[in-house]
Amino acid sequence: MTERIYLDNSATTMPSAFVMACVDRCMQEAWYNPSALYRPAMIVQKSMDEARRLCLAAVDAEGEQCVFTSGGTEADNLAILGHLQRIRQKGRVLIYQSEHPAVTACIPEIEHMGFQVETIAPDHEGIVDLNRLEKQMGTDVVLMVIMQVNNETGAIQPIQDIARLRDQKCPDAAIHVDGVQGFLRVPFSMHALNIQSYALSGHKIHGLKGTGALIYQKQYKLAPRMLGGGQEMGVRSGTENTIGILALGEAIRTYPKEANAHMCNLKHVLYDALRERVPGLRLNGPEPGSAASAPHILNVSLCPVRSQTMMFALEGDGILVSAGSACSSHRQKVSPVLTAMGISPMEADCAIRFSLCYSLTERDIQTVAERVQSQYQVLAKYTRR
Amino acid sequence: MRKLLLVRYGEIFLKGLNRPYFLKALVERVRHATSAYGGNVWLHDGRIFVSDVTDMEACASKIARVFGVHSICFAVEMEKDSFDAICDQSVEMMRDLHGTFRVNARRSDKKYPLDSPKINAEIGERILRRCAQLKVDLHHPDHILAVEIRDFCYLYVRIIPGSGGMPVGTNGKAMLLLSGGIDSPVAGYLIAKRGVKISAVHFHSYPYTSDRAKEKVLDLARILSEYACGIKVYIVPFTEIQMQIHEKCPEEYSTLIMRRFMMRIAQNCAELDRAQALITGESIGQVASQTMEALQTTNAVVSLPVFRPLIGSDKSDIIEIAEKIGTFETSSLPYEDCCTVFTPRHPVTRPKPDRVAAAESVLDAEELISKAMAGIEIVQV
Repeated sequence: MTERIYLDNSATTMPSAFVMACVDRCMQEAWYNPSALYRPAMIVQKSMDEARRLCLAAVDAEGEQCVFTSGGTEADNLAILGHLQRIRQKGRVLIYQSEHPAVTACIPEIEHMGFQVETIAPDHEGIVDLNRLEKQMGTDVVLMVIMQVNNETGAIQPIQDIARLRDQKCPDAAIHVDGVQGFLRVPFSMHALNIQSYALSGHKIHGLKGTGALIYQKQYKLAPRMLGGGQEMGVRSGTENTIGILALGEAIRTYPKEANAHMCNLKHVLYDALRERVPGLRLNGPEPGSAASAPHILNVSLCPVRSQTMMFALEGDGILVSAGSACSSHRQKVSPVLTAMGISPMEADCAIRFSLCYSLTERDIQTVAERVQSQYQVLAKYTRR
Repeated sequence: MRKLLLVRYGEIFLKGLNRPYFLKALVERVRHATSAYGGNVWLHDGRIFVSDVTDMEACASKIARVFGVHSICFAVEMEKDSFDAICDQSVEMMRDLHGTFRVNARRSDKKYPLDSPKINAEIGERILRRCAQLKVDLHHPDHILAVEIRDFCYLYVRIIPGSGGMPVGTNGKAMLLLSGGIDSPVAGYLIAKRGVKISAVHFHSYPYTSDRAKEKVLDLARILSEYACGIKVYIVPFTEIQMQIHEKCPEEYSTLIMRRFMMRIAQNCAELDRAQALITGESIGQVASQTMEALQTTNAVVSLPVFRPLIGSDKSDIIEIAEKIGTFETSSLPYEDCCTVFTPRHPVTRPKPDRVAAAESVLDAEELISKAMAGIEIVQV
């Protein structure tokens, strides 16, 4: 069987060797209920505190709060709905148009709570259009929700500029950042930007599925969405997933310093190799190497070959990629993220997302480019006339 | 006294001298359906009895899928000597019911001291006296208490309908062209219902269709096999043929030529499988390749009879059956099927057979088909 090259790291990542060893150890030692009073439980509690400290430090939020959740979706839900439930003043909520469903699916409930939702439009690169956003801002805005990195295009959102505009136009508005795709891969400082909350997920950084966290400022008002035994400072009840939480801490601790520069280089190599080999290749998202381009996601349209055909053909060659966003690829609709950027439905229907991780090599990337080329040469001939 | 299932059969009653052949097959099918629940299955006095199973409800719903079964009764079996005990048990079974009722007695034991009208009257009176919430309605009752006097007495109120039809395997074998859409599983179901053993052939166009699409077809075959007692699925690699058609044949004929290849390969599979006919889910006029002329063109390449049980059905009727037999949800999963990329924009709807044959003649059909046949994967579900 051909060696497998996995390029769908935005959907999920393989647990790292450190994480696997940590899980193995924790299964034997860290299974105690951290709320218990005996010593082994206390040790688990201390390890969890260390994982919490690592989460906070990773986004420059030392001294703030961190609650562990079942993943990014729960963290987003808690940050948005939990906050809006606690504030009295009804106003507008601004949400970036191309957010993940973990955010957009909250909109009906937000409106039901009495808030007015407005979307923030992207430009042709999938980046928040700051001019339009500035016009939308006003003192009645209570919350803005923006993802750090778009999961389909890899576009880094200008959160620094958004925070600056917020300070000028609506200083009382909170900002929630969905950091699921950006965490660790794009530097972030909650303190410097005065960001109220930040969601992250463990399995996107070589940790385990079912783990994540919401980091938020101490004074940030949050009503719990999960009621019960009062764990996680009463904000998120339920016996803690100790093994997953410690694995999350381990994934952060062992995330290589040079990982992002390495992925950035691989993304360049891949883009250049594909451009050379596939005529009419279309880049969906910011130019690799630009400040708005995340190091690990490359989205291109290989017209006229439809995404699914290319995806299955590459799978036959041992290369696993995704058509648009894996979270929605079962739905077989043209990606709304890409169409919002003004990409034609035909081009969006031919989009492939390559998402990288730090363990890939340049040789892997060259192999991928070669196989894309040979599949493209065959498949481009057999498309709908 | 014990609880058991009393299975009634339908059309087999109409059979003459060969009735034992059909009954033997039906008992075998019922025995197979109940095998997961243990217990005993036997035929006696015009009924199939199922006793001592671990889960009566689940077992009954399995039997309801066996073709040839008319209905399944949740019965109580008791000695027939004490008529008082029969009355008491009847009252017990009616105690929690509301509305109107009727007693329906029949005796195959003609020496029993009471005749059927008397049994009806006696038990009916006893129920009326002890269940004040119930009234008698002989014409349109809400509940019917059946009393059968055989070697034992059998009482039942609750009956669930069976699937009808004839036991699978009693009417030969046929090859179903199974696409993954809504129609073909329904077509397979309807023919299997007439006692036909089914095999299936599926055309897989990797990479235009995925492993998920193939798995979806196998899932559909698994659902069908609940009724059809196991299905052998022939998965035929079809990409090469589609590519050749796309490359060399006129666009407007491409679907028809593709269908002709599918029919030829299905016939080859049928021969391998000793099947005597082909089954398709076609319905007249549903799409361009299902007009009268198109069907004639695709029929022309095979010599086996082609059964099209849905030929006169509307889509809504087909969906209704698909929902009933449990294939609709799986059929509706959105994985691409092989036709989308290769579908012509303006397919010919009234093809002339000689023109299609001429358009197709540029291909080396024999070689393409033998290559496809050599790559067949067989999955038993």
